[in-house]
Amino acid sequence: MNEPRCEEHRHDLTCREICEFMMAFLDGELPPEERAVFEEHLSLCPPCVQYLDSYKKTIALGKQAMADPCGIDAPRPPVPDDLVKAILAARKKQA
Amino acid sequence: MLADMAESSPTAAGTPGSATDEAGLLARLRAGDDAAYEELVVRYAPQLLTVIRRYLPEEHDAQDALQEAFLSVFKAIERFQGDSSLATWLHRIAVNSALMRLRTRRRRPEKAIEDLLPRFAEDGHRADPRAVWSIRPDEASVNRELRQMVRAAIDELPESYRTILLLRDIEERTTEETADLLKLSPANVKTRLHRARQALRELLDSRLGETAR
Repeated sequence: MNEPRCEEHRHDLTCREICEFMMAFLDGELPPEERAVFEEHLSLCPPCVQYLDSYKKTIALGKQAMADPCGIDAPRPPVPDDLVKAILAARKKQA
Repeated sequence: MLADMAESSPTAAGTPGSATDEAGLLARLRAGDDAAYEELVVRYAPQLLTVIRRYLPEEHDAQDALQEAFLSVFKAIERFQGDSSLATWLHRIAVNSALMRLRTRRRRPEKAIEDLLPRFAEDGHRADPRAVWSIRPDEASVNRELRQMVRAAIDELPESYRTILLLRDIEERTTEETADLLKLSPANVKTRLHRARQALRELLDSRLGETAR
């Protein structure tokens, strides 16, 4: 089976540049002309489309995984009693 | 044991974390009630330490930052206006304390991020075909193993990049706020965030193997 390949080799914009400007593209910070060139590359380059998809999923997965630090599965090793005592003792000194 | 108090039953003052309970606790804190301070520390220390450990994996650094965070809280409790929940306010102070610790402790060498960035052929195009990620991001909300795997991958990022990713993508601080907190230029924050995301993508690509390919 043939792997999807970039058909954009004959154009000026490379996959490296697509990768470089990906965040600006997603943040809507590319000027209209550059955005059009970016989108044209994507229309011809399945690997860049796949990379963009996985880049967006990476951001979303990070948010999901870290959203709730107190969640039921979040690692919450106990706080040592000595540390709690030290914090409370430091308050007394601070007062 | 002090830590056992964190698991205690809801009190008559309200379910822990509820607005009623929070208002009652705040009133007691402002009155200088020692038991209220102990309750505050025992109740919130575990989650704050969890947050701080994201930034400071070494336990002694994390514990020092937690102590500094609580001392800041004790000083500022009179000024807490209640614009956000107590938990949110404590969370922000804990993050700031972790960042302060990162800034003031001796800088440690960190691994290079270059090995985790995408590679290209000499002509600037992709050298290798990309795997398709069939996974849906919302799967993480129901898949505990996936969440743990993503957290482990974030932990593997070089420290300075992990910090920026946590502040921008997880804490949702703005570029300007992040730049200010880390004493970097906004442009530098953007470049580092992009690299951090690329590196995390790479780490997940190898771990999501069966799911992604």
